Amino acid sequence: MQYLIQLVISGLAIGAIYGLIAMGFAVIYKSTGLVNFAQGEMTMITAYIAWTISTTVSGNVFVVAVGAILAAIVLGLIIERLVMRPMLGEPVFATVMVTIGLAVILRSAINFIWDAYPHGLDIGMGRGIVHLGGIGVRTGQIAVIATLLLLLAAIWAFFRYSKVGVAMRAVAADDRTALLMGISATRVHALAWAASSVIAGIGGVFFALSYDLSPAMFQLGLKAFPATILGGLDAVLGSGLGGLLIGITENLAGGYIGSGMKEVAGFAMIIIVLMIRPFGIFGERDIERV
Amino acid sequence: MRTGDYKQSYGELVALIESPPVWLWSAVLLLALIAAPYVLNSYALSFLMIILITVTGALGLNILTGYTGLISLGHVGFLVTGAYAYAVLITKYHMPPLVGFVGAGVVPALASLIVGAPSLRLKGLYLAITTLAFSFIINTVILEMRWLTNGARGIQVQRPEILGVSFDGDAAFTYLCLGIAGLTLFATLNIRRSRVGRAFVAIRDNDTAARVMGVNLHTYKLFAFITSAFITGIAGALYGIYLSFVSVEGFPFLLSIEALAILIVGGLGSALGAVLGTILIVLLPEVTRIVFSLFSAQMDAAFTTGAQELKSMLYGLVIILFLRFQPRGLVGAWHDIRRTWVHWPLRY
Repeated sequence: MQYLIQLVISGLAIGAIYGLIAMGFAVIYKSTGLVNFAQGEMTMITAYIAWTISTTVSGNVFVVAVGAILAAIVLGLIIERLVMRPMLGEPVFATVMVTIGLAVILRSAINFIWDAYPHGLDIGMGRGIVHLGGIGVRTGQIAVIATLLLLLAAIWAFFRYSKVGVAMRAVAADDRTALLMGISATRVHALAWAASSVIAGIGGVFFALSYDLSPAMFQLGLKAFPATILGGLDAVLGSGLGGLLIGITENLAGGYIGSGMKEVAGFAMIIIVLMIRPFGIFGERDIERV
Repeated sequence: MRTGDYKQSYGELVALIESPPVWLWSAVLLLALIAAPYVLNSYALSFLMIILITVTGALGLNILTGYTGLISLGHVGFLVTGAYAYAVLITKYHMPPLVGFVGAGVVPALASLIVGAPSLRLKGLYLAITTLAFSFIINTVILEMRWLTNGARGIQVQRPEILGVSFDGDAAFTYLCLGIAGLTLFATLNIRRSRVGRAFVAIRDNDTAARVMGVNLHTYKLFAFITSAFITGIAGALYGIYLSFVSVEGFPFLLSIEALAILIVGGLGSALGAVLGTILIVLLPEVTRIVFSLFSAQMDAAFTTGAQELKSMLYGLVIILFLRFQPRGLVGAWHDIRRTWVHWPLRY
């Protein structure tokens, strides 16, 4: 029982990281209609920048947090302006392939700028252990779960009540009509890229806190795919929850079946889910006309 | 005066080769390729081998992604399955290489049914991600089935001897690759101009409309998957033999992206495009290296230390630039040049 609870808790913690990155996917998909295959790499860059700040400027939590968030915003805006905006109006396949090209570039750029060795992000917290009813939990793990839940609530409120959130939903639903209603699609896209970069970046920094930075970190993006698919590509909240589900599944499969299963449990799960609901658990079925 | 490229009958539309000059130039190219192993040094020959193997794989992906419009991010899964099927049949069961090659085609084709079946319900990006999932799952399956595949240790493969002919030397192995690549090209061109190929293209352009016109989506999508996986598996076996060592690490995920890059750069949905794209993408790092070394020795040094990174950055950059400025790829550019040449000085 103890073992089970331990597995579930660490599954929740890693799942929260997947959930954050998956929310990054969903925010972009919801407003631009494309899957950003460079999400894992963007996450990774933000984490690396956070690490650079912590080693060169200051290890203070707030300095690192603010620096990382600003860097993530700038990164998202630059990518949107330079790479994605020229592709506006092109077919989805072409645009998605552009993000794949971008992923390859960013990944090698990281190896080129920083080195290929693992680094630990040390800001003086997150690695301590708290005992809850006899089960040791890292403070970083609690923090990431709390952050995910907070962000979920904030984003739900944002899309539901704020004017900008409604504008984003409008662009996602029908960009031409939205344009006629006076919503600037490019501005909404820029906002979506910046927001997605920040949300995923937070996940990346938390990952670096609990584990280590390494060039293999881009795989987080691939691991977060199942979460997004499970929740439905257009469901931001669903993606966050999907992340938690995938994290738990992965850990249980790893703990009870075998370590090899841990790597693919999420992928096996989405194949099964997509067989039953081809548009994710919380996603909307789109109706196609000839 | 020649005023354009006119097709006057259905026969001309589906002709394998458009006109006598194309026949002539194809024959010249074939002769050049046959002479190549005697002329080129072993360094250049290794590039020719890689190009021929990659062409086979790219043509395989072209059937699925180019013709049928089903995006696959997991083709490296078929590549690695083919390589392992060949290696296991040859080394564990001591089968003749011909059986090995048939197995390298059939096993991925069977595996493709696993991904192909959900593809009937999934569309676009959801399918792309399913194929991605498949390629990760297949890697784990291979690593876990140690009794058959040696797990992470991999399998050593020798160059084959088929029907008493040894393909051990570089020249001989190039001929083997040339033969298989040539056959694949011939097969895909013929698939494209048959009823099956037209059904594939109809599915790509609009699957609901294709279905209304009487194209059985289930049959043809599965057929596209099986054909594509068969060809890719054989390319995988060739690549395994080329590396002389089959392991999961030898087939990284980047290969899937490289294959898509080849199709995009060449021009999606065209066999000629797959060939041109392969040549460009395979030679790109080498050409860049030569260009850089012309400028300065320092840049050359930077290239050798960060070679892998710069190489993949180039892939990414080339993909983005082509999508942005020449979405129809090299084939599109070639068509534009040809049209300008024929119609000059008129615009069209």
